[in-house]
Amino acid sequence: MARELILSLDGHEFPVNLVKIDRARLYGAVEIEAFDEKGKPAAIKVLAPDGKTLIDIGGTALATVSEDGSSIDRSNLVAVDSDGEPVESVPSSFNQPNLLSQARSEDYLSQIVKSVYALEPAGGESLDFLQDHLAAGQMYNFPFSYRGGLEHDSAFVVGSGDDAFMVVGKPAALQFVRLNQAAVLDTVEEKEISADELDFELL
Amino acid sequence: MPINISNAKRRDAVVAMEGLMPKRDVRYLDPEGHPVTTRKLLKSDVTHDLAQLMKKRKKLESVSKVLIKDDPEIDIEHFGMFLADTSRVYVSARGIVRVVDEFEVVQNPDGSVRDRRPRVKEPQNINTDVPLRWTGKYIKKDEAVRRFVFNSKKQLVHVNGLTFDFLYDMAKDLEKRNSLLLVRAGENGEKPIVMNRGGKSYNAFLEGRVKGDSYCLILHLSNMELKKPKEIADAAA
Repeated sequence: MARELILSLDGHEFPVNLVKIDRARLYGAVEIEAFDEKGKPAAIKVLAPDGKTLIDIGGTALATVSEDGSSIDRSNLVAVDSDGEPVESVPSSFNQPNLLSQARSEDYLSQIVKSVYALEPAGGESLDFLQDHLAAGQMYNFPFSYRGGLEHDSAFVVGSGDDAFMVVGKPAALQFVRLNQAAVLDTVEEKEISADELDFELL
Repeated sequence: MPINISNAKRRDAVVAMEGLMPKRDVRYLDPEGHPVTTRKLLKSDVTHDLAQLMKKRKKLESVSKVLIKDDPEIDIEHFGMFLADTSRVYVSARGIVRVVDEFEVVQNPDGSVRDRRPRVKEPQNINTDVPLRWTGKYIKKDEAVRRFVFNSKKQLVHVNGLTFDFLYDMAKDLEKRNSLLLVRAGENGEKPIVMNRGGKSYNAFLEGRVKGDSYCLILHLSNMELKKPKEIADAAA
């Protein structure tokens, strides 16, 4: 049974189910089939630097190594923040109510998206209260961690049409770059467009 | 990565495009307080996988016995070696092959096959003789964030004083409009963006921000709308 996430907005608490959405579920997917010159099926493998060792899916692993190249058990590692201070682990967001805070479009646009979920009502509770706020143009965010760990992700609760979604990601390392300054001139014909004009069936 | 892009005045310039990574606040230290790194290593190769073991023994029961007794799945000399500079190759029953015929099998969301066609690898179109087009089509940020999922982001950065002015102006213009600009490729500005030969197609949107005499110009890439899959929408209805 799906775990319920509890959201809290203006003193109202309501459980939701998360339904993961990806491109394949919306538009389908493309698989590549390959055949050699004799018509026999071919598959992609990884070729090691020695030029002869072929590695299939699952044939590699990641190891944590010290400065001298020795492998270190992850249980012996110490997590620290940018100031070098030890980091406290964060609990899973499914274990407590999650307070929604107002967010801006710029904050949402600043994040690298990891996952998208549709929010479905759970426990017989309605999402009308949330959807009314989303329909009024509000957007919310809260710190989110699926399983718990060292860092929270940022979860944005966004409305689209009559539906509510949760977009999870991390802020991008955006950089403002400087040198000089100049004026703005527009010569292109301008017009506002509707999102409906865009084609997302890019297969 | 260079990108050839035009501005609202149809002037174009080649500038730099950089990938954007998530901010990382946490790093790991070893017990002595020294930083650690992550390395990729060899865990198994195709000559030691289950398919190879089954060729000699046929039955899974006999494979499991020999796994316990002799460790035939492990190459002590090679497994565990660090891997760098690996490459991807096609392999058939005849070994590594350099010439293959590729086909795309297009599947519907329910898994049924919609089309099967020879694969055509479209070339990249972000740095060609034809600059990416400033279409003049804007979409308010508030609407865009509710309609599209921005799967990836790049940042445009000037490469000299002239292109600083060029990009700064773009950023300033877009910030003033509080809008994203639809960016297109191709002679007539009708094509989505393709970053690499044979790569995915994206709808691209340019966002500009200005802070004093500095700017931030972000290219948002999207190949997905923010909407429910039909199966979920139908179930809810």
